[in-house]
Amino acid sequence: MYKLFCGGFSKEPDCVLLQKDNILLTIPFDPANTDYQAYLKWLEEGNTPLPADE
Amino acid sequence: MTMGITSPTSNTGQILKNGSAVISFDANNNATFAGNVAPTVNSTFRNRIINGAMVIDQRNAGASINPTDGQFSVDRFVIFRSQASKLTAQQNAGSVTPPAGFSNYLGITSSSSYSVVAGDYFLVSQRIEGYNMADLAWGTANAKTITLSFWVRSSLTGTFGGSLQNASQNRAYPFTYTISSANTWTQVSVTIPGCTDGTWSTTNSEGIGLYFGLGVGSTYSGTAGSWVLNTSLFSATGATSVVGTNGATFYITGVQLEVGSVATPFEQRLYGTELALCQRYYYVIASGSGYISNAAAQTTTNAFGMYTLPVTMRTSPTGSVVTGTNYYRFLANDIDDYVDSVYANGQSPNNIIIGNSTQISNTQGRPGVFTATNAASFVAASAEL
Repeated sequence: MYKLFCGGFSKEPDCVLLQKDNILLTIPFDPANTDYQAYLKWLEEGNTPLPADE
Repeated sequence: MTMGITSPTSNTGQILKNGSAVISFDANNNATFAGNVAPTVNSTFRNRIINGAMVIDQRNAGASINPTDGQFSVDRFVIFRSQASKLTAQQNAGSVTPPAGFSNYLGITSSSSYSVVAGDYFLVSQRIEGYNMADLAWGTANAKTITLSFWVRSSLTGTFGGSLQNASQNRAYPFTYTISSANTWTQVSVTIPGCTDGTWSTTNSEGIGLYFGLGVGSTYSGTAGSWVLNTSLFSATGATSVVGTNGATFYITGVQLEVGSVATPFEQRLYGTELALCQRYYYVIASGSGYISNAAAQTTTNAFGMYTLPVTMRTSPTGSVVTGTNYYRFLANDIDDYVDSVYANGQSPNNIIIGNSTQISNTQGRPGVFTATNAASFVAASAEL
């Protein structure tokens, strides 16, 4: 399950995390990134990511 | 203008223009040109395939993989498969002697005797970035002919197949080649006319997809030798299925895709150059225990630092981190904060943040370093196509 995340100094989510078995992917919001494209497709299918931690 | 050739009085000679030597030949058959030499085809960087000699293997370091669909073997070469556990992939699998002039190859070994069904595909592929094929002018009336060449060896003989496709997979060119002798390296050359229509990227997205079929069902197989519209094809009808024979092998190296209708000798690039070309798409930041990056505690629980990537990547990269109990550590003022994971958040094609925000208890503002503490620790940046 994708989870929104605020990396670095960011106060707003600037990436999504995806844990696959023992691998943590950190996917930036870059339209040319193919992992981000897969995330957008997942959203289009009606899914919702977990919110970022407070 | 007059042209002439000097009368040979010895084993030297000249070609003359208006009485002056344009090309001079010495006794050792060396030629000297009076002006510049301007070949119509690049003499360097002819090959649009990266890591065609299968030298770089950042992800697996020579280990065998039972690939998931879309998992990379050697750098830039990805395995696509519709069924699990039908093949393995490994740099130099089987430890045979590569063709002369090569030190490495990509080896595929069939894990079973599997009969492909219509929708199946088992493929070795490389996707070429649009920037690296823009000069081919594909999708226009001026599309250039290309030639694909490679060395291949298989325990099977017969007709094998592959294809080129655009990213939308609505322009495909299936091709065939023949392996006549089992377990013998064979050099293959396939000339393909440029595609004059369809959409072909000329920027940082996928331009050409090159596919070698290892077993492809009828849905994704088509007639070889011409461009096919509006159908995704990965191979040619009737091609040999490697996954159909348990233990069958398919080894490949020296993959070159170049402009023109002739296969020139494989372009051997310097190791550092080839590695840098690979690092545009994938870069290992840390593997095993050791230093990762400088960082600082931004709060009492949140530390991060910026890592500068050595090569401008294709996009802001995805961070990929192997996680496990106490696999990483934030070390500041001799205080060890062990953490199970770090995040690697690509900020641009040039840098990535390494940080942790869940398991650190330190002093705000304190500088430190992130280190990897386990042999299995692994941090990488990926901007693959």
